[in-house]
Amino acid sequence: MPAEGDAVDLKRNDNELLTQVLAGEVWPALGDRHGFRVDPDGRPFLLPGMGGVTLGVHCGDPATGWAGDHVEPGLSVRHHDPAANFALQYLSCVGNRVVVTSGPGAGAEGMVIGQHAYVLVDMDECAMRQVTTGDQVTVFAIGQGMRLTDHPKIVVKNCSPALLAALGGGTASGGRLDVHVAARVPADAIGAGSGMVSEFANTDLMGAYAGLGGNLSLGLEGLRIGDIVALADQDHRFGRGYREGWTTIGVISTGSCQLFGHGPGPSTLMSGPSEAFRLVDDPASNLGVLLCRTGGLRPDPVAAGGSDQP
Amino acid sequence: MNTNPRDGTGDRLVSVNLTAFVEQASVGSDPFRIDGDGAPYVPIGDGGIVIGLRLGDGVFDYAADHAAPGACLVHDDPAAGYALSAQACIGNPVEVRTGAAAGELGAIAGKRGEEGRVIAVFRQEVLHELRPGDQVAVRSRGQGAPSLVEDVTVCNVEPDLVERLPIGAGPVTLAVNVRTVVPSRLVGNGIGRPTPMWDLDLQIDRATASRWHAEQLRLGDLVAIDDLDARYNAGYRRGWRSIGVVVHGASPQPGHGPGVTVILSGPSGRIDVEADGAGHVGLDEEALLEVARARW
Repeated sequence: MPAEGDAVDLKRNDNELLTQVLAGEVWPALGDRHGFRVDPDGRPFLLPGMGGVTLGVHCGDPATGWAGDHVEPGLSVRHHDPAANFALQYLSCVGNRVVVTSGPGAGAEGMVIGQHAYVLVDMDECAMRQVTTGDQVTVFAIGQGMRLTDHPKIVVKNCSPALLAALGGGTASGGRLDVHVAARVPADAIGAGSGMVSEFANTDLMGAYAGLGGNLSLGLEGLRIGDIVALADQDHRFGRGYREGWTTIGVISTGSCQLFGHGPGPSTLMSGPSEAFRLVDDPASNLGVLLCRTGGLRPDPVAAGGSDQP
Repeated sequence: MNTNPRDGTGDRLVSVNLTAFVEQASVGSDPFRIDGDGAPYVPIGDGGIVIGLRLGDGVFDYAADHAAPGACLVHDDPAAGYALSAQACIGNPVEVRTGAAAGELGAIAGKRGEEGRVIAVFRQEVLHELRPGDQVAVRSRGQGAPSLVEDVTVCNVEPDLVERLPIGAGPVTLAVNVRTVVPSRLVGNGIGRPTPMWDLDLQIDRATASRWHAEQLRLGDLVAIDDLDARYNAGYRRGWRSIGVVVHGASPQPGHGPGVTVILSGPSGRIDVEADGAGHVGLDEEALLEVARARW
């Protein structure tokens, strides 16, 4: 494990990466006139979670245990034009810098923590309180196209250079990539999101229904927002699919669900044959902790050539 | 626990005539989809009218993506499309109302997810006369049907069809003959979605079929999925079992594969299964059309 303040020096193609400046808007929570959805036992519920600005839930906080459904921490961001929105969702990467550009919170900075058919942005709670639906944000999108030159079998996506530098790990003996993970997730847990492209939304995990039946549990009730997790038997290189002997690394970007087949969800960061990784169990492997280790939020600057060196 | 979502209502089922339209297969501006190994391919047979594919054909036999036997039915109005997919049940009759095939009868054979699509089987000579846009009437019946045994939810199937399927009802358990039994972790697209409106794609391809005793998997087969509770949304529940009908063929897309429309879901102690990898016969075209004709 790297000492505090260390960044892992993994060779990657930084000189090839571009930053695109993307506009987004804090999107409202959406409902329909019927309101209720149905939990695993057939009970109807009506709970907050998706859209708007969700206060009080940040990286490092429990992902479960909220009276919410698909809890999206912080700002939920979209673009009103469908094609521009897909670009925003596909190109935004975890760790990218986000700046609020309108409203009383203008100037506040945050960080992309995942995608969930919204780009999800965490920021300081005080700053977040000034932001609401309709406010404009700018995402400095960099990361898609990143390659780990010493680990050609591993596909990296949705991961900013800054996050990659902060991730615990490095090249282990035998040329494997060390990845520190807060939890290991069995393939039985993979819920909604399977079959979709892995640059969009996330993979809901079942088996994390805190307080519901024991026969629903897969031991995932302790997940936190921002946890780096390993998904067994998942190949997310070209979409999210089951493939024995493959491993996918993700970051938990959404929390509690009551809707059955859904749950706290990792956004995909890496995918490769299992033998390309050496997983290290490390409860501290969480976005919040990692970013503190590297001296606080050190997001990707806008720089020619895409360097993320401060 | 309320194990049958329709308990508390009466057992008499209503039939509803729904209007639907034969779908035109559609693609995006990019002709390619990407397979699990990253190779682009042009999807063939995903929706619309598919000729030459029938119940009983192998799911891995065609160079196709999600190909369904017959014609997919849709409705332009999204809410009407959702109602179509939620209420149409396997075995319901379909009558063509416009076009060269007007007056011909077919039957609902399954459903597809996402936009509210259902699959209708017609005789091949009728399919040759069908054209995208033709209007059909679906006489839906089946949702809300009473349980065959306690604790087991029945859905998505015309009650008169059940006796034509390899399903036997004892006093406390069902006995079901299936092609194979697979674990819930093979369920890809469709997991977490409402069972009355989506099918469940099994992440099995030709290369992995033997691992799951699915080499002979055919359209119309019954399949058991263990540790899956599909009474409402489909999701993982230890000790539960769901039975479905294979309604469309394999797919190169990761997270996709042969699609199963669930018809039974309950505790596994209530549903005994016999896996018959070589001899299983599930939903048969003759039986399906006969039941539909009798219901029209």
